[in-house]
Amino acid sequence: MIFEHEIPNGSKLYFGESAKVKRRVESIASEVLYSKGYEEIVTPLFSYHQHLSISDEKKLVRLNDEKNHNISLRADSTIDVVRIIQKRLGRNTEHKKWFYIQPVFTYPTEEHYQVGVEYIGQKSLSSVLGIAKEILDRLEIKPLIQISNMQIPKLISDMFEELSLEDFRHVNIEKFLSLNVEWLEKLVYLQNAKQIDEVISIVPESIKTELLKMKELCSEMACENSVMAPLYYAEMLYYDELFFRIIEKNEVYARGGRYKNEELNSVGFAIYTDVVCEALTK
Amino acid sequence: MLTVALPKGRIAQETLEIFEKIFGESFVFNDRKLILETPKFRFLLVRNQDVATYVFHQAADIGVVGLDTLEEQGLDVIRLLDLKKGVCRVAIGMRKGEKLDLSKPELKVATKMVNITKRYFEERAVSVDIIKLYGSIELAPLVGLADMIVDIVETGTTMKQNGLEVVEEMMTSSTYLIANKNSFIAKKDEVLDIYKKISDVIKSDA
Repeated sequence: MIFEHEIPNGSKLYFGESAKVKRRVESIASEVLYSKGYEEIVTPLFSYHQHLSISDEKKLVRLNDEKNHNISLRADSTIDVVRIIQKRLGRNTEHKKWFYIQPVFTYPTEEHYQVGVEYIGQKSLSSVLGIAKEILDRLEIKPLIQISNMQIPKLISDMFEELSLEDFRHVNIEKFLSLNVEWLEKLVYLQNAKQIDEVISIVPESIKTELLKMKELCSEMACENSVMAPLYYAEMLYYDELFFRIIEKNEVYARGGRYKNEELNSVGFAIYTDVVCEALTK
Repeated sequence: MLTVALPKGRIAQETLEIFEKIFGESFVFNDRKLILETPKFRFLLVRNQDVATYVFHQAADIGVVGLDTLEEQGLDVIRLLDLKKGVCRVAIGMRKGEKLDLSKPELKVATKMVNITKRYFEERAVSVDIIKLYGSIELAPLVGLADMIVDIVETGTTMKQNGLEVVEEMMTSSTYLIANKNSFIAKKDEVLDIYKKISDVIKSDA
């Protein structure tokens, strides 16, 4: 039995003060983004292409169009934003800097509001990390910025037969340390850019390159509250190299990274509006 | 400052003894208090099944909990270190003399550990009807509620006293030091420092 006051589990309701806070977050985000030359895009709620990119199709809320083709509710905005800009708007616009303020939906009834940014054809992650930081600064949120590089776990798991990406996903430090490799042990303990200098001379060349990218991102950002996590690995839809998470306590406010679409490098991030709103209303 | 979730009972006692060895001071919960504050740590006394939940939600940064409970709950926490204590087995028990026959069309299994049981039989493509119980699991085969049970076995005495015996061991469990994923990133120094110290004690005890 469903009561009159019920709303589906995982769906979102904002009213009064909480709706005002949400509007403020979105308004500050759009103000900052317009000032940096970004333009807004609002993509359809229904999509033909989500299942091509979302590895776990069970996450999609699926239905059918009038010709019985599979469609789903948007579960990820980047997939559709990038595809629509490249495939549908390519003839109409050369613009590369886009943002969206819209929710995503996952099965069965989860709803998440997001502010997202895509800088198409851009390689430098600092160009968007700075924006994410500025938006959160304007909201007077001072979280921790975690900088990681998805290539490092991949390279290390290719180097050692004993290690798999699962060991990185579960942070299996007992296994890392049991290999008795000095540079790997140092990477387990590594937390700041200065420690990169200490390990750089003993790591293999391929890892050196990726560590230096992390260091460079940190120095470009001049972020006072940051942490390096070179062995961090999470299964991700598209971020394949430098990657950041903006966290506080157990919450993730934003995450972003570099990704490749048809050989074109782009960077982007998403701010999780619901999480930010909850922090601001506490 | 790290917050440490400990399961009430013997494991909490053993873990606090490790901390006493490391820091050379006494760590004792007073009366029936559930929080013990010290300059470097805040210890929480929680139910065994709740340890991983406290750590997952970061009400505690680290915790100590059995591998069987971790596997059953499947929460995304970091398994830092096998403390090699509280060793036990998760096993299938049947009435004495009965044999495990996985080719039977429908098996009834009584257990507290529904997820571990489900996964075990799924991996073997065996269809089972799982009956969730909260205690006195050994009773189920005796009164015809189930064909077998899946339960924790330490010495096997409880099963034996109830006319049951272990027919298959599913996994070995021991207590693990676990950590919250964000705490591991944000407080890496502190988490790895205590990891190293506990690891040294475990090695010297072995």
